[in-house]
Amino acid sequence: MASEARGLGVRQFKAILRKDIVMELRTKEMITSMGIYALLTMVIYQVALSQSGTAFDPRNIAAGLLWLAFVFTSMLGLNRSLVHEKDQGCLEALLLSPVDRPVIFFSKAVGNLVFLLIVQVLTIPVFAFLFLQEGSYAGEWWMIPLALLAGSVGISGVGTLLATMSVNTKGKDFVLAVLFVPLMYPLLLAAVSATSAAVLGGDGSVQQFWTGMGMMAGFDAIMLLASFALYEFIVGA
Amino acid sequence: MAASSARSGLTGRSMTEPATIYAAVEVRDLTRTFGARKALDRVSFDLPTGAFLSVFGPNGAGKTTLVKVLTTLTAPSKGTARVSGFDVVADAVELRSRIGLISHNPLLYPDLSAEENLAFFADMYGVADAGTRVRELLVAVELDHRRLDLVRTFSRGMLQRLSIARALLHGPEVLFLDEPYSGLDPHAVEILDSLIEQIRANHTFVMISHDLNKGLALCSHALILAKGKVVLSAPRTEIDENQFAATYRATVGMGVA
Repeated sequence: MASEARGLGVRQFKAILRKDIVMELRTKEMITSMGIYALLTMVIYQVALSQSGTAFDPRNIAAGLLWLAFVFTSMLGLNRSLVHEKDQGCLEALLLSPVDRPVIFFSKAVGNLVFLLIVQVLTIPVFAFLFLQEGSYAGEWWMIPLALLAGSVGISGVGTLLATMSVNTKGKDFVLAVLFVPLMYPLLLAAVSATSAAVLGGDGSVQQFWTGMGMMAGFDAIMLLASFALYEFIVGA
Repeated sequence: MAASSARSGLTGRSMTEPATIYAAVEVRDLTRTFGARKALDRVSFDLPTGAFLSVFGPNGAGKTTLVKVLTTLTAPSKGTARVSGFDVVADAVELRSRIGLISHNPLLYPDLSAEENLAFFADMYGVADAGTRVRELLVAVELDHRRLDLVRTFSRGMLQRLSIARALLHGPEVLFLDEPYSGLDPHAVEILDSLIEQIRANHTFVMISHDLNKGLALCSHALILAKGKVVLSAPRTEIDENQFAATYRATVGMGVA
């Protein structure tokens, strides 16, 4: 009986994830809007820093700029992922089916993670071109993707929960931002620290990187467990 | 119309399956509040298995809230409700696999094809041999020739037929119809009538309607709600149409709950 229920849960998880990916590949709404938004943000950073002079090294704030762009970009995408469900009452149809609510949460969160990672893969080269001159990247190459993955897991998990909370509210964009930014604050600090260590390198950078990674892993675990526990209540509210 | 086999194309259940003996819907003192407003106020009624209940009432009477509670989408504030023998709160997950909802909203993904939509919901309900079942239903609702087309290209009538197929995928025992005729042209109404007629014998129905004639023509039981309270509840055989219409008209002036 338990294995049957687990089998159905896996089937439902795959179905929701596949459906979201197929719909996104068809409409390209999320990836296009998120990708363009991220690129525009980076261009604006570049313009803002254009008069900073030669003494200023943009590498010192590169990690912060990168995560700022991804936080704003993900808020845009997170809202859209639930609006799709809301259209035509599809969220109601999903909730009518005998699916455990955490299955909906995990499938939506993994979908959002996939889309965010795709946007990151597309925008990181542009970021490197604008802010990291040739030979200026001092860390180990594998540090950046690892830091991006750990930060993105937290953004997708917490963001999916908050987007579900805000989707039924009037000013959903505003509500999501107001809830999202304060909750993500510890994760952002850790993500910026780990990414900075990767970009700047130097003495103690490996330790700084792993400290940041440890904090992100802790945040991800706590927030994912909390989201798992709260999702049933939130979708039923 | 096609499809009538050992496992009926529309019902999805064996034609020899024994009839269940419990009341299909049992509602006791059901109350649902939103802030200070009572959308449902101590609503009680029973509906036997195989019956067709038409629920009437003015806008804001609590009809949609009643369906939302009975379909587990909204929890009651007080009182109890059982559908197919399952409590809407304690047994919500089991209950969801035994009910279907056809709404004026199609509850379908516009950017998926008809076949993809049904396949998705087949996965959600754990339908065995999903491919065959999906094809069977597409034939039954006469949409097999459009199975690969995106749902956003469908007319209102086609959407409603596909919505019926979605609601019947898992062979539900009780079907909830929330103003299913809303916005349909006469031809689509005929098709919907015919589909309901085909599945009538194997299901219990709860239908919300603003159309007195249509609702009374279909039902075996009728209920009028106003301000969240039951104003009238009776089997169709005990209803005098003129008196019923007068009662209904009186409720329209009563305002919202």
